[in-house]
Amino acid sequence: MVNSQQNNRLASGGLLVDREHPITFSFAGKDFIGFAGDSIASALAANDQWLISRSFKYHRARAVLTMAGQDANTLVQLPSDPNVLADRTEISQGMRVDGQNYSGSLENDLGRHIEKVGRFMPVGFYYKAFYKPAGVWEKWAPLIRKKAGLGEIDEQFEPEYYDKAYAFYDIVVVGAGPAGMSAAIQAAEQGAKVLLVDENPVLGGSLSYDRLDAKGEVAPALRAGMIADIEASDNIDVMLEAICNGYFADNWLPVIQAKRLLKVRAKEMIMAVGALEQQAVFHNNDLPGVMMSSAVLRLIKLYGVRPGKRAVVLTGNEQGYSAALEMLDAGIEVVAIAELRDSPPISELMQAVSDRGVEIYQNHAVYAAQPSSDKKHLAQVELRAQLGRGACANSGELISCDLLCMAVGYTPTYQLVCQAGGQLSYDDESAVFTLKGLPKAAQIVGSVNGNWSTDAVCGDGYRAAVLACNRLAQQSKTITEISEPAPIADDSAASPNYSWPIFPHPKGKEFVDYDEDLQIADIVNATRDGYEHVQLVKRYSTCGMGPSQGRHSALATARIVAQATGKSVAQTGVTTARPPFAPERLGHLAGRSFYPARYTSMHQRHVEAGAQMLQAGAWYRPAYYGASDQRDACINAEVNNVRENVGLVDVSTLGGIELRGPDAAEMLNRIYTFGFLKQPVGRARYALMTNEAGVVIDDGVSCRFHDQLFYVTATTGGVDRVYQSMLKWNAQWCLDVDIANVTSAWCAVNIAGPKARDVLAKVCTDVDLDSEAFPYMGVREGHVAGIEARLIRVGFVGELGYEIHVPQHCGEALWDALMQAGSEQGIKPFGIEAQRVLRLEKGHIIIGQDTDAMSTPQEVQMGWAVSAKKPFFVGHRVIKELNEIGQYRALVGFVVDDLSAPIPLESHLVIEGEKMTGRVTSCNFSPTLGKPVGMVYVPPHKAEPGSEIEIRSSGGVMVTAKVVELPFYDPQTERQAL
Amino acid sequence: MSEFITATADSVLRRSQLYHLQQSEGAQFAKYQDAVVVKQFSSNDSQQVKSLGVADLSTLPRSGFKGKHTPQWLEQQGVTIPEQPNCATKQNDGALVARLSEQEHLILSDLAMAGSLAQILEQSWSIEPDYMCYSLPRRDSHAWLYLSGEHVRAMLAKVCGIDLSAVEFANGQIAQTSIARINGILIRDDLNDDTAGFHLLCDSSSVIFVWQSLLDAMAEFDGKPVGLAALLEN
Amino acid sequence: MKQMNCPLNGLRNISEFIYGGEYHPMPDPQQCDKREWVEHVFFHENAAGEVTEWWCHSATSYWFLARRNSITDEIIETFPASKLFNKRVDFSAAQGES
Repeated sequence: MVNSQQNNRLASGGLLVDREHPITFSFAGKDFIGFAGDSIASALAANDQWLISRSFKYHRARAVLTMAGQDANTLVQLPSDPNVLADRTEISQGMRVDGQNYSGSLENDLGRHIEKVGRFMPVGFYYKAFYKPAGVWEKWAPLIRKKAGLGEIDEQFEPEYYDKAYAFYDIVVVGAGPAGMSAAIQAAEQGAKVLLVDENPVLGGSLSYDRLDAKGEVAPALRAGMIADIEASDNIDVMLEAICNGYFADNWLPVIQAKRLLKVRAKEMIMAVGALEQQAVFHNNDLPGVMMSSAVLRLIKLYGVRPGKRAVVLTGNEQGYSAALEMLDAGIEVVAIAELRDSPPISELMQAVSDRGVEIYQNHAVYAAQPSSDKKHLAQVELRAQLGRGACANSGELISCDLLCMAVGYTPTYQLVCQAGGQLSYDDESAVFTLKGLPKAAQIVGSVNGNWSTDAVCGDGYRAAVLACNRLAQQSKTITEISEPAPIADDSAASPNYSWPIFPHPKGKEFVDYDEDLQIADIVNATRDGYEHVQLVKRYSTCGMGPSQGRHSALATARIVAQATGKSVAQTGVTTARPPFAPERLGHLAGRSFYPARYTSMHQRHVEAGAQMLQAGAWYRPAYYGASDQRDACINAEVNNVRENVGLVDVSTLGGIELRGPDAAEMLNRIYTFGFLKQPVGRARYALMTNEAGVVIDDGVSCRFHDQLFYVTATTGGVDRVYQSMLKWNAQWCLDVDIANVTSAWCAVNIAGPKARDVLAKVCTDVDLDSEAFPYMGVREGHVAGIEARLIRVGFVGELGYEIHVPQHCGEALWDALMQAGSEQGIKPFGIEAQRVLRLEKGHIIIGQDTDAMSTPQEVQMGWAVSAKKPFFVGHRVIKELNEIGQYRALVGFVVDDLSAPIPLESHLVIEGEKMTGRVTSCNFSPTLGKPVGMVYVPPHKAEPGSEIEIRSSGGVMVTAKVVELPFYDPQTERQAL
Repeated sequence: MSEFITATADSVLRRSQLYHLQQSEGAQFAKYQDAVVVKQFSSNDSQQVKSLGVADLSTLPRSGFKGKHTPQWLEQQGVTIPEQPNCATKQNDGALVARLSEQEHLILSDLAMAGSLAQILEQSWSIEPDYMCYSLPRRDSHAWLYLSGEHVRAMLAKVCGIDLSAVEFANGQIAQTSIARINGILIRDDLNDDTAGFHLLCDSSSVIFVWQSLLDAMAEFDGKPVGLAALLEN
Repeated sequence: MKQMNCPLNGLRNISEFIYGGEYHPMPDPQQCDKREWVEHVFFHENAAGEVTEWWCHSATSYWFLARRNSITDEIIETFPASKLFNKRVDFSAAQGES
């Protein structure tokens, strides 16, 4: 029952298929049955369904070409996956497969009629036709894109789990054909840890399907022996159905298998990536039924599928005869061999074919192929005698057939090799690309290295493995060194490349690039339009830009461009190959990315108190406490509570750096702008940091707890940079100071407000909190609620306040103790939004918000924080010079009196006439002042208090603001000194 | 060896940054000297330690010292310091001394807290003018996790770009590197001859993220968090 | 991904390092003329060929220097900063600093 539907399934054979397990799936709405292990394409072929897709531009019928995923002909749609390669995707029970790029149905694509106007759509048609008048492209583009589109994405998709991992090997071998297997076996033998990667489901590469001798016995035996060796080795990890999708510096290889991206580091890399078979270029060479000889072999040997019933072989090498023998053995009628070469030496394979009565037409080409009446399959080919390079006799012989097998040569799979730095060159004599110039720990072996005969291919793998192992042996305990083998003899005589399998036809349709429906004339015309360089040809004609990325068009394109421009193919070259080699899923790139998050030790308390958390850098911080629809009211209440009572804010994210040692003060003195040598123990000083260009880059407070111990705070986002910068400077200065980043060791709160002291006094009894004894900018060590603490009297929010720093693990205990102690005074937590408003009212800048990459201390009114008497600090000289020049802008405060005006936002511009003369850096409604206040950069002539400026606010509304003296709140600084 | 004392942890005890998370993961806590530890996650902990487990040792004692006189001072205190940076040496009392650079050393208590080198060093240290050996608050600055089991290397390969294979990364070797994009200190300290193990120290504010990243990476191997009791059985 | 040999930590992925700019000795900030200082701060050689650069291993905040070929991107050698800086640098004494 089941088999009866698979009319093209051969009675036996098929390395990959399991005939015991039939699988039902559908294609374009029809049900089909294949076997487990079948690809979509092989299962369809078994059922005589050849048409798989419609071409990109002309909607021509397309079918199996390479059976190796190297063409776009087999792109199909799965329900949640567009652009799936039907020849590389295994069928599964119930799988629903559809064609792509057609209107109506695949079998009856309404879009196919576009071909009739094809001659009016030359290369560059879209550029030329829709370029003028301006704006017309925007109207056409959606229609054209719809016509040209490929698959459809599934907008209902469910996210899936993809991840990444690292792996390390002595030697990574990419490609498990005879060369790669030889290399892996030898490397393992010498003790190397080897990863062998192959994109196929089985080991063997071409040995799995190719026929090396007339009887077809050599390849299977060789393959079986090597697989046995690999399986017996403990040193070889094999990854099948895995693709090495790029080459990055120092042998860093992304290997994708299923839902994992493996980032592999190889001490040595051996690329045994093989070669890609190329099509002959002739009229209608894209018809279903026209395929590569390797595709014919794969269908028969890997899947047990008959590629056709009546075949013609076009060949310029031995492989055409291998395929012919394989077809004959499979019961396919081989009616003729068009041998491109003129009287080649008779080989064993050729003789065997001849002995079986197949007529060989020497020095003949397939000049054209003709379709069946429904245009969906090959019906006949026209053989003509060759008269010269690409030229044929005026008439020939028509032979009916449903299969044309092309065997005209290969290009090395150069993509990975070129990414590694390999240079591609072309030997016009042998018509072969060669690769040279790899990095020192990478090698190419096998056909990609120009070796074709089995002995040369295997010997090449062996040789490379020995070289790699011998290099590694110098630094390895497990790898042994052996004597170096002799170089491989030149194998170019075995090259399968026929020099010029390109036959122009007056009606065109000799496809160079199937993906983009590009014909000989398109390539030639691109050069005539002035795009002579192969890179320009690519971009103008789109040749090689389709899904198969030039895998079967690069060689033909290079040849045609070379001929059209009068250069050699070597001079013409091919376009750059960049990673990825094959399409990769966004899931592989997105999967398992890490987004670090940091939490303070009081985090749980914020959550419990109903905080809206926001992420600032990696840190989670409370923005404000309360419902998000009450945001502004919450923030205003928090501000008011600090001004009137007392508030508590988590400032654990502040950076903390300890400088210890005889030169601790000297170090600070060089790093920060102020003077620190005479800073008394028990006192804090504002610390402003500039870079060598005199630009403000960080600030904090320096606290001296001991003659040789300073605890310096830094901004949340800046501390790592500040710490590293201190270390870098001291790597040069060699001062006797030890610098430690202790940010995470301490957590901290700021308790601020007129009642802060009353609250603190309840839980801190070993420090005299009296303002005389512990004044503003004093620092003390003591205990808060029994916890050892560093207390710093600071005034960032402009009220009486204490920063209390305690060991990280005591955060919750400190928070709880202060909240409890302050309940009587109405203590409430406040978030960073309220803190921003409070500091703005007090006119304190935030580095990075109110400063930019050009801000000097003078500009931001911090001249007072710069010591004029020090011999040196970082930025000193430039600040000195700049002060002599004078400033071109100033950061000033402003208020907006018109309460109906839209409140200016950060980065809104100051406009004077036609000019932009400044920008807002901070602006908020001030609950304390009852109007918007902010800071803004203005030119010097607007910096005087009382100046009026025009700010272009939201919606383009011009808002008048008045420059005022900073701070907005408590100008006499009485409140923080309470 | 210290005793586990059944206790409901409250805020006066030294608790891990992971405490709230571990509560929701079903941890059984116990008081262990001055700290709260997870005694057990499940009755399967002992098996888990051998296949793939992560234990939170953040509340166990540790200390650190840095500055150019540090090697000299530590030797005066009877500490055997590793000859090379990025190596760790077991002390007689079971503590592990990790040399992080020429001058910087980290001292990790043995898990049973049988010895007390880390605490003794911290207590005997004080800042002396011009003597450059300075204490580092390692018990607060860093969280401390221990990863062990058959699959530990395969799991770490998902979060850490260093070759940790047995051949390349010897017992006692240290890697200061990026783990799940967080800077961390990884010390190979096998649980016993059969079970590989690594200490992982990272910034304490990042440990929740690291813990979650590790559990995610472990899921593939059925890795689970484990309590301290299971480690002490070994 | 490229690798670099950190003198403290050994061979690591380049993503573990932070570039710290070209190495060039600082002129005497008190004595040098304006132009010399401006060139020191704002001008970079950006040389094609062998360059010496500051690098920092981020997990350990360890600064060191690397000689690199900026054309081939080959790292020729890395070495500790102490190879170039081994004695204390002082600037002229403070003048009545407060």
